[in-house]
Amino acid sequence: MSPSTNLEERHSRFELRTLLETSRLLIESQDPDFVLNNLLLITMGKLLVTKGMILIFKPGENTYYATRAKGRGWLNENDEISIDISDDLLEASVLHGAGCEELFNQIGIEQESILFNLKTSNHHIGFLCLGPKGNKQPITENEIEFIESLTIISSVAIANSRMFKEMRRINRRLDRKVHDLNTLLELSKDFNLMVDRDEIARIFKFAMLGQMLIRTFFFALDVDGEKSIVSISGINDEPTTDDLDKLFELEAVTHVAEQAECDFLNENNIKLVIGLNFQGEKIGVVGVGARGNQQEYGPEEVNFLQSLGNLALLTIQKSLLLEERLEKQRLDEELNLAKNIQRGLLPDPLPTITGFDLAAINISSRQVGGDYFDFINTPDGGHLLAIADVTGKGVPASLLMANLQSMLHALAPIDVTLNEASGSINDIIHKNTPADKFITFFWGKIFPDGKRLRYVNAGHNPPIMFRKGSDEPELLEAGGVILGAMPTLMPYEASDIELQSGDLIVFFTDGVTEAMNPEQTEEYEEERLTECIRKNRDKSSEDIQQAIIDDINEFSNNIQYDDITIIVMKVA
Amino acid sequence: MKNFGISIREVDNIRVLDISGELDAHTASQLENSLKSLIDHNHICIIVNCKGLDYIASAGLGVFMAYIEDVRGMGGDIKLTNMNERVYNVFDLLGFPTLYDIHDDESEALTGFDK
Repeated sequence: MSPSTNLEERHSRFELRTLLETSRLLIESQDPDFVLNNLLLITMGKLLVTKGMILIFKPGENTYYATRAKGRGWLNENDEISIDISDDLLEASVLHGAGCEELFNQIGIEQESILFNLKTSNHHIGFLCLGPKGNKQPITENEIEFIESLTIISSVAIANSRMFKEMRRINRRLDRKVHDLNTLLELSKDFNLMVDRDEIARIFKFAMLGQMLIRTFFFALDVDGEKSIVSISGINDEPTTDDLDKLFELEAVTHVAEQAECDFLNENNIKLVIGLNFQGEKIGVVGVGARGNQQEYGPEEVNFLQSLGNLALLTIQKSLLLEERLEKQRLDEELNLAKNIQRGLLPDPLPTITGFDLAAINISSRQVGGDYFDFINTPDGGHLLAIADVTGKGVPASLLMANLQSMLHALAPIDVTLNEASGSINDIIHKNTPADKFITFFWGKIFPDGKRLRYVNAGHNPPIMFRKGSDEPELLEAGGVILGAMPTLMPYEASDIELQSGDLIVFFTDGVTEAMNPEQTEEYEEERLTECIRKNRDKSSEDIQQAIIDDINEFSNNIQYDDITIIVMKVA
Repeated sequence: MKNFGISIREVDNIRVLDISGELDAHTASQLENSLKSLIDHNHICIIVNCKGLDYIASAGLGVFMAYIEDVRGMGGDIKLTNMNERVYNVFDLLGFPTLYDIHDDESEALTGFDK
């Protein structure tokens, strides 16, 4: 074996080992810097060149930058150049000065230099540039082959590490997305169990702070036109009413400009304001400050903010509705109680009065109403009969009705004259009620012997009386003005009626005569009532009353708008 | 009641909060109250030892965000220690390690307060 062969063999074995060790080192490394650094140093050492650099291609900008550069006179590390290079040249794996003069000039390297293309099967990564050998010797085929092999291995290693990095990035983004979704899911479950609005707003705040890595946050709500802050963090002075109005006028998604028109936004360094809608109306505004990681708010963050914001908003809306429903329930219960109390104010059962056949009914259109009727015993053995209608309906009317009831019961045991008492009642009502509240009132006293009715009609629908044997009704109109409209200037006038067996009187409130037909074009009116009474006058009081109710129901198709009260009194 | 616990120790004039269980929307206010009361009493060198913490939700993380600046503004800090991997992962995902001093072990955090 000749010494030269021996040397060559040793040489090539050394190269193979270097290649093997280097490739293991490079493939196992996930750090591109490490790979490139090694590639440059190994090749420079191998060829004994004094200048070397690695140019990395930046795809987006079509430029190259020198990531590693050794030796003087070439680009400095991190310098960036743009190079015009044909696709043909990019296919080659090794480029010499000859034939590529222009390219070498652009890069600013000597024509004796050599370029190795760093590429994988589908990606051009950059170039390894090596200067001329220090001993001016040409580079041998062998050396080129060796470096080419290293270049290929390095390129694969770099591509791998890039892919690995990209995958890690994607994975992390995915993790983050999963976390975002989890947060939404979990909070929607948590919110479901909450009805306390302050707690909901507080949890919303903390979730925002944690999720967005922020410290400055506000959440404003518009409840029935009333705008207010429901939770806030990292803000010194809460927004004024003017500020709130401005915040609600902003776009649905507002990236706050450097100098916004709203001082509140500037002073607190709010970066993003998002409007939240419920049923097409903006009723919530969320603002967030700068993020701790210095990142901007991108579409993903905006999306998340909107989702979580809407979730909080819906939960709060739900709690408001629930509260409303509970409030309504409470009110209904109270009204039911009031109705029972009011029922208790009416005589039940009706008293029996010797010599009379009596029937009376009160049908309230609402839970409580303003109609009233009563029978009260007087000390002399007589009876007071009263019927009244308070203007308006519902609770206000029922209060006034109760007031009147107590007055009558206070007066009954005292032997008062009807007309004087009417004046006193009028004065009291007038003094104690607003100007638009009146009571139409009719009352009468049935004398102990049952032969006489003395009455005062204070603006009430005149009761209809049929005398025994007469087909012509008489109206009990005499008295005076409606109660509560003005002080008693003229005394009320009392009238007497001599009662005979067979006489019939029907007392009623305007709910009877003003009952409407279904078309709402016509009222029931006195005429129909009179006719109905006339047709049924021979029946018992109870039956007459029922006949009137049936007739009204038929006329109105069972739709009742106002309280209805009827008293039927027949002299036996 | 949810499984969450919190207790306070004092080590070398530093308040150590041991938290355990699940820190979520329901339990976040407990941590908030503890931090608030420490700050109100001017105890601003705080370590939150997460050794027993099994789970943390964004609302829990938000509590730290709400108070860190106040505490630092007063010259103190909130340091976090002894997180399990799952909990740390959440902190990491949301970018907390850039803002907070997070240690593997409480003793490291304690020396970190030496001035």
